[in-house]
Amino acid sequence: MKFVSLIASAIHAASPSPTPIAVAGAGIFTSSLLMSLMIWVPVLMAAAIATLPNPRGRFDTLMKQIAFFTNLGLVFVLFVAYNQFQNFLPNMQYEEKVPWLPAIGAVYHLGVDGPGMVMLVLSGLIGIVSVLASLGIRERVRSYFCLLLLTQACINGAIVARDMFVLVLFWGAAMIPIALLILGWGGPRREGAAWRLVGYWGLGLAALVVAVMTLYSATGGTSFDMDVLLKSTLSPRIQLAVGVAVIVAAATRLPLFPLHGWARDVYADAPVGVAVVVASTASRLGAFLLLRVLVGAEPVAAQLLSPLVAALAALTVAYAGLAVLRATDLRQAAAYLALVPGGLTVLGLAALAPLALAGSVLSLFSGGLAAALIVGVCATLSDRAQSRSLHVLGGLAPRMPKLAWLMVLSALALLGVPLMASFLAEFMTFFGTFKNQPVGGFAVAAGLAITAIALAILLHRVLFGSPNPDAPGVSDASLGETWYLALLAGALLWVGIFPSGPKVPGTDLPLFDPGLVNTMGAGLPDLAAPYTGPTQ
Amino acid sequence: MSSVVFAPEVIVVAAAVVLLLIGRFAGLRRSLRRSLPPTVVALVLVALAVELWAGATLGSYLGGALLQDRFSLFAKAAVLVAAGIAIAVTDWSAEDSLTISLAMPLLAAFGVMVAASAGDLVALWAGLELAAAAGVVLLSVRRADLGLRLLIAGGIASALLLTGMAFVYATAGTADLQGLRHAALAVSPTLALAIPVVLLLAGLSARVTLAPFHIAGIPVSLGASPLGSGLILGLVAAAGLTVAIKVAAALGPVPDVFAPYLEWAAAAAMVGGGAAALAVRSPRARLAYLAAGQVGWVAAGLVTHFRAGLGGSLFLLGAFALAATCGPAVMGGMDGGEASLAGMGAQRPARAAGIAMAFLSLAGAPPLAGFFGEFAVGAALAQSRHFGLLGLGLLGAVMSLAAALATLRVIYIQSPLEEGRRGSGLPTLTRFSTAGAVALCIGIAGYGVFGSPILGLAYQGAEALGLR
Repeated sequence: MKFVSLIASAIHAASPSPTPIAVAGAGIFTSSLLMSLMIWVPVLMAAAIATLPNPRGRFDTLMKQIAFFTNLGLVFVLFVAYNQFQNFLPNMQYEEKVPWLPAIGAVYHLGVDGPGMVMLVLSGLIGIVSVLASLGIRERVRSYFCLLLLTQACINGAIVARDMFVLVLFWGAAMIPIALLILGWGGPRREGAAWRLVGYWGLGLAALVVAVMTLYSATGGTSFDMDVLLKSTLSPRIQLAVGVAVIVAAATRLPLFPLHGWARDVYADAPVGVAVVVASTASRLGAFLLLRVLVGAEPVAAQLLSPLVAALAALTVAYAGLAVLRATDLRQAAAYLALVPGGLTVLGLAALAPLALAGSVLSLFSGGLAAALIVGVCATLSDRAQSRSLHVLGGLAPRMPKLAWLMVLSALALLGVPLMASFLAEFMTFFGTFKNQPVGGFAVAAGLAITAIALAILLHRVLFGSPNPDAPGVSDASLGETWYLALLAGALLWVGIFPSGPKVPGTDLPLFDPGLVNTMGAGLPDLAAPYTGPTQ
Repeated sequence: MSSVVFAPEVIVVAAAVVLLLIGRFAGLRRSLRRSLPPTVVALVLVALAVELWAGATLGSYLGGALLQDRFSLFAKAAVLVAAGIAIAVTDWSAEDSLTISLAMPLLAAFGVMVAASAGDLVALWAGLELAAAAGVVLLSVRRADLGLRLLIAGGIASALLLTGMAFVYATAGTADLQGLRHAALAVSPTLALAIPVVLLLAGLSARVTLAPFHIAGIPVSLGASPLGSGLILGLVAAAGLTVAIKVAAALGPVPDVFAPYLEWAAAAAMVGGGAAALAVRSPRARLAYLAAGQVGWVAAGLVTHFRAGLGGSLFLLGAFALAATCGPAVMGGMDGGEASLAGMGAQRPARAAGIAMAFLSLAGAPPLAGFFGEFAVGAALAQSRHFGLLGLGLLGAVMSLAAALATLRVIYIQSPLEEGRRGSGLPTLTRFSTAGAVALCIGIAGYGVFGSPILGLAYQGAEALGLR
């Protein structure tokens, strides 16, 4: 009963009240440059790391500390922004608008709405997690953390961009440091992984540019501002062209079957800290783009293409489940499992119903964390067990209890069991989907069932099966590894238990967290507005 | 005031002549050898300052043969910045003759300045040939055989160019660019006009290494000294592109006589440049093909034949001139294959950053100069509904980006080689060249970030050519 009331409150909160509820401490710090800080502070710190003298690696630890405290500082700024975010406002907040290239209509326009804030919170958490997961880096520490901070900056930039030019810039720029990180610090198949990433993401970037230019051309070629491009009424033909290009861009990034070719090698062979970033924020940008451009701005194309999108979601989840069943490498199995949350998110977007869209937005967060957790825990486990082969790994739970717990939690998060944030997301997604996309919904549910079977087999084999006497020695997660994985699991549990944030006892006032479900509601009704009529 | 407008040209030419005379008649003491490059860069900076100060004055000189407008201001400023930084970053231990290597970029820059100010076809041709001749001289100092090859290829290009110009003159009845534009408004796109225009553009294509005529320029540039290579790939191509923009603007009223050819050539250059850059492993060859790909983007902007397209091309031309001229120069003598750059990020961080910036900018990677330029051209292509060309350009850009990343991996991720295995020594480390590399990085990174006035000036430049 408690869960039912919890879900009801979450669903209720997805449609925000017009009454502002003040959060304790709100308004103590204001800055008109909050969004810029999220982008440029990591860039400046990356430049500082790049220029810091480091004879014979003497200051390697300092560089790690700089990266960590930069991310910690960003999380503080983000916490301020999150707490002061006004859930009842439908428009963009923390907006910054400076003319950049007025001759072509490019504006340095940043801002964030509810879904954007959800992505930013995810990015802040993943920033810290990625540094903690990278503490074991010993070679070329300066370059590694410099590139990691640049990655963080690019992802934040793509999230808060309110101008298509700015979006393309950060969307494309993110590819460069990530590819270099994989090339420099990846596993044995890093070359293939990096070039596949560049190929697929490059294709996605090209598709995004085509979509942007089509919008630009169709709206008179005066501005790249989303306020202009995404609020114009376009002909169905143009909407379809833009929609298809955006689906290709999103499918390469999220990724969705059949444009997932990079995912297995990248998740399996990127350094853990990078794999975590790619599995969570970098890939969620694909779904965020679909939400923002296709669902939010091109309603005709969204309606026409929703069966295609649902089919892609179903294929992705089913393919991932089947691929895990056939996998013989733990990290590759994790890579396939990391595709599942993306499929669920996209299913919600295909449904074009307010509840499903709310579920999709929440699953940007929960799915990102779940994907990062499964990729991170499997990478750490295979490092600690000195093997990735599923023929070698077996019966590890007694010898690595912390990692075993975390792996079980990651499986539960992927499957969306109660108490996990992904439960709420999947609940809302499926409830909203079965009305508009019943076939897609059932297909994804079937795929999820296959994934559950595959996960059960995987967990049984790796954790609870009979130990392999010939396997190399194993050790449990280190303190840093435990922390980063526990942060991911803790965030999933926190939002799962307190979707609307904890309250001051005896009142309805939020304590220190206004609640992710409340926050994400800002702007969501606007995005869902075209679909509230006949589809409801 | 009118005489001050051409002070930058006078400074540049005088410096070049003095350098040649010093090299021919006076010995160079060691202290003078060391102070000569900074002195030349200082002179270029003075010329740039004068250009920016006095160049805003509009006017027509020598009976309309030379014009001072926003177009010439932009092109002259861009080429002076490119030449100045290229001289600053050059590793002089890898050059064959100090005075000739200093003088030729100045003469090439002067050629571009003449072409940029040209009011008629004759001045355009003269400026382009002057820049090209400087490239031949600098190449011949190291490889006389390649110099001869470039001279012959250039002669053919020049012949095509002159034949085309002569026929265009005969058709229009004037060599004056404004007059040509007025005449073009009155003529229809006939085959009689299209053939000479294609000849003219073929000559220009050979000069700017635009496909399919890139085979004339790229292989020979690989045999030149680092600065010579930058001169051929950057300044000579910039001169050719300056001429191309002016010709495209003059023939704008009859786009059917040049746009189809340019469209094919631009597509081939963008895709071919990216593919070839991905296929080769030598850093200098890769840089050359990346430059060829970006030339394709500049040409694509001309296909649109309206202000936004030509403005975008001009904006990209500035980014191209900077990266293509300075890229080979900042690499120095590291032409011993990909391995010669291994670990350079750790050993020569400023120079390595300059190389990385040049590669990424030529590949059109965000958020560097080339990206902003290519985006501006892309926006113009979208406005004029050239989505096919845009798509091919994006395909080429993705391949170029992959190629640039491959070089970055060698620079920053591979371990440094022992000196014996490197094939060529590391560039000499001097404060001046380090400052030059830093200036190159700032120039490429800042070009787009502070791009509003630059792009605004480029658009004004396109307007000055009579485009609306």
